[in-house]
Amino acid sequence: MKWATRPHCHVDRAACAWLVRRFIDAEPEFVFVDDPEEVPADATPFDMRGVELGHHGGECSFETFLHRYELDDPVLWDIARIVHEADLADERYDVPEAAGLDVLVRGLSMTHEDNELLALAAPLFDGLYEFKKRALLLGREPS
Amino acid sequence: MLAYRLPREPSTPRSSVWRKLRRLGAAQLLDGLVALPFDGRNRESFEWLADEVVEAGGEATIWIGRLASAAQERALAARMSEAVAAEYRCVIEEAAGLLSGAGVAPRRSLLRLRRELRRIRARDYFPVAERERAVQAVESLAVEMEEARK
Repeated sequence: MKWATRPHCHVDRAACAWLVRRFIDAEPEFVFVDDPEEVPADATPFDMRGVELGHHGGECSFETFLHRYELDDPVLWDIARIVHEADLADERYDVPEAAGLDVLVRGLSMTHEDNELLALAAPLFDGLYEFKKRALLLGREPS
Repeated sequence: MLAYRLPREPSTPRSSVWRKLRRLGAAQLLDGLVALPFDGRNRESFEWLADEVVEAGGEATIWIGRLASAAQERALAARMSEAVAAEYRCVIEEAAGLLSGAGVAPRRSLLRLRRELRRIRARDYFPVAERERAVQAVESLAVEMEEARK
């Protein structure tokens, strides 16, 4: 499937792209357009203004994805809280990891093109998922 | 610039938008017209905020503008700097108060001040001298507390 979003991805879009590839569409193709009107007809837009898979009710696009695709994995919701704070920093959640994740992804966005950034950020989110999964199973942070 | 209009009731979306504008450090130009320095991040913040306004039944448009006179531009930047500087001064005063107060200040006061400092820095668009002083004030408090624990 084809997915469209805005170029110069930051943490929310990088997280959404990772979510798409790992949980929704095994062979996604990402295209980057500046304006919602430029989205190709066969592409699903996300993290753009006025689209279904965007920010709604004060939630970031990653959270919207989880609602829309009914992904109720609690580990994904842990990650959603981190992405929310990394993207919006509205202090809705107490997740100190968010600041670090935001800086890492922003740094990558300065040194890499969008498709490379998404490819590089994926293992970061894989690791975060694994960490949060173990934390949930253990009931505390894994050593 | 974000031009917006929200229904008076319900008040929840109004206060949510207001809180976000405050966190961003947006300058209010007129009732329903706010401005931020132009960069990708601020533009995106305004875009999502505009969507939030529309979802709440209001109207919002985003404008990219430039003041026609350099003097007015300086005045606006000065106004925004002064607002941030005043926030830094509060932090400096509080840190000084804790430093000179009787006994050792509780550690949570230090953590709160550091958090407050981080919030202010996120909306600190123009360099102000108070920033460095506020950072120093909070860090001297940290050093003092570290010493007192020994």
